[in-house]
Amino acid sequence: MSSHQNAVGERQQTAGYLQLIKAVLYREFLLFVRYPANAVGGVFISLFFFGVLFFGGQVLSGQALNDSLEGIIVGYFLWTLSIGSYQSLANDIGSEVQWGTLERHIMTPFGFAPVALLKGAAKVVRTFITSAVVLVVMLVLTGTTLALNIVTTVTIATLSVLSVLGLGFAAGGITVLYKRVGNWLNLLQFLFIPLISAPIVEQPLLRILPLAHGSGLLQRAMVDGTRLWEFSAVELGTLVAVAFGYLIGGYLVFQYATKRARRLGVLGDY
Amino acid sequence: MNGNLGNLDHKTVDESSHKRGHNQSNDAEEAALEVDNLSKRFGDGAETVTAVDSVSFEIQSGSIVGLLGPNGAGKTTLIKSILGMVLPDDGTVRLDGVDIRDQPRTAYAQVDAMLEGARNDYWRLTVRENLRYFSTVAGVHPDAVADEHQRLLEQLDLEEKADVAVRDLSRGMKQKVSLASVLAGGAKLVFLDEPTLGLDVESSRTLQTELRRLATEQDITVVLSSHNMDVIETVCDRVLIMSDGEFVADDSVEELLRSTDVYGVRIVSGDFDEKILSRLREMFEVTTVEALSPGARVEVETEGDGIYELMDWLRARDVTPERVMTVEPGLEDLFLDLTDQDTRTVGGELE
Repeated sequence: MSSHQNAVGERQQTAGYLQLIKAVLYREFLLFVRYPANAVGGVFISLFFFGVLFFGGQVLSGQALNDSLEGIIVGYFLWTLSIGSYQSLANDIGSEVQWGTLERHIMTPFGFAPVALLKGAAKVVRTFITSAVVLVVMLVLTGTTLALNIVTTVTIATLSVLSVLGLGFAAGGITVLYKRVGNWLNLLQFLFIPLISAPIVEQPLLRILPLAHGSGLLQRAMVDGTRLWEFSAVELGTLVAVAFGYLIGGYLVFQYATKRARRLGVLGDY
Repeated sequence: MNGNLGNLDHKTVDESSHKRGHNQSNDAEEAALEVDNLSKRFGDGAETVTAVDSVSFEIQSGSIVGLLGPNGAGKTTLIKSILGMVLPDDGTVRLDGVDIRDQPRTAYAQVDAMLEGARNDYWRLTVRENLRYFSTVAGVHPDAVADEHQRLLEQLDLEEKADVAVRDLSRGMKQKVSLASVLAGGAKLVFLDEPTLGLDVESSRTLQTELRRLATEQDITVVLSSHNMDVIETVCDRVLIMSDGEFVADDSVEELLRSTDVYGVRIVSGDFDEKILSRLREMFEVTTVEALSPGARVEVETEGDGIYELMDWLRARDVTPERVMTVEPGLEDLFLDLTDQDTRTVGGELE
């Protein structure tokens, strides 16, 4: 970033990527603490559905539910993490289009791409906080204990969610091109349930789908207590490859959609 | 006014371009914006719409240029093509000498825009937070321009609201915040689309004064698109009028107004009756008729020595004017005339 002169002819101190990171993350932080209603509402809704699932399941299945309760809690934790990251990023890009701020970012020296990536990272952190609250309440509510090795849990959960973030970018790109499709794209989050519970042992190829492999590893980490370094290199390599494959793929879809929208002249139309 | 613009033909874009070309060698270094043969088409085949048709122009640093045109004339597409929000099909755009295709990041470091119909900033952040955020994304460290931000807040009467979330401000204040955030990053070239929309008279005047000051004192170049002709007339050094994707006029407000010898003649007479008014409409370009008792107040558009012909005609029908007044044409009249008759300058040639 070259420095340039300001309106009064003085040499201005330029802002580089470090300042950009600070600015975008600080904005996300401000919105999170200043307007907590969304986050609190999300926590309550997640717990409400878990309550329905848990107490309803107890009535219908009795002991059978209790036998698989740990797995359900881990799966539900990953699901709240996934939909939180996916929804917040896809909806956020839609809002930026609607507000005209995406257009403003397009013509800045940085462009919108790094801002979108930083937003994605911030959404993941934010969703981790709310999902952690949901997890703790679920454990207390059901009297269940899990192996919570922070490094292992955070690493696997983060890598699992990165693939969903890629889907969020792709969904954001579709929104940029076709605008009012947010409700349809939100339906995609229900596909996360079969992905999280995909039978990867019986069908190993399913591991290349987002969330599927990560969900399996997270179950082993949180239920069986397997530590990160105890997984095989192939397992971790697959996790990383799937995570970054979908993230990069989704990001490229977003970039392509933005360029196509500029070509069609529909970037700012809403 | 819809009559012919007598000697407008020597003020067509073609000649203006020529004049600019003549000056180009002297002013080349000062051009804040150079657009060459820019075109943008939408759709395919028979449904292709040419929104911007081989447009070329330059804007010098520190000037305020008004961009006018009826809805669908291509103004927004032109602005967005310059800003990279729309990818043009042909042509080049240079911002401060830097081609936006070759070095987009460097080129856009000097530019910002306030677009109509968009929020442009974050309503859940405070005014000051918006200024800091948008100066950062514009590539300027917010701490380095904190004093500039404070001055902007003071000049736009936003100081008291600096720490209030934008969502809690009135529409006019939000408009000011948009402008402030556009200027917060030290842009040298700013595009303002309907900047006075929603502002009260006083705020609008303050804004116009501020724009003039920015251009004069800080060498900031402003491209202003507005339907408010008073604003354009008051603050713009130069006016570009677009119609059907092309420029139909490009000159200073004074020169454009001087270019027409069309004017209005307002006549009040008690002798006007339906029969005479009907004949008058057939013979002259009557723009308004206001019934009086007795008679009427009539406004006729004419040019050159047309007023004498009109007076002779009235005298021959025993119409004695009680009051006669000539009305100079305004920019709005000129604008309507040009955009209604844009075929005058097909490819720069008069029809």
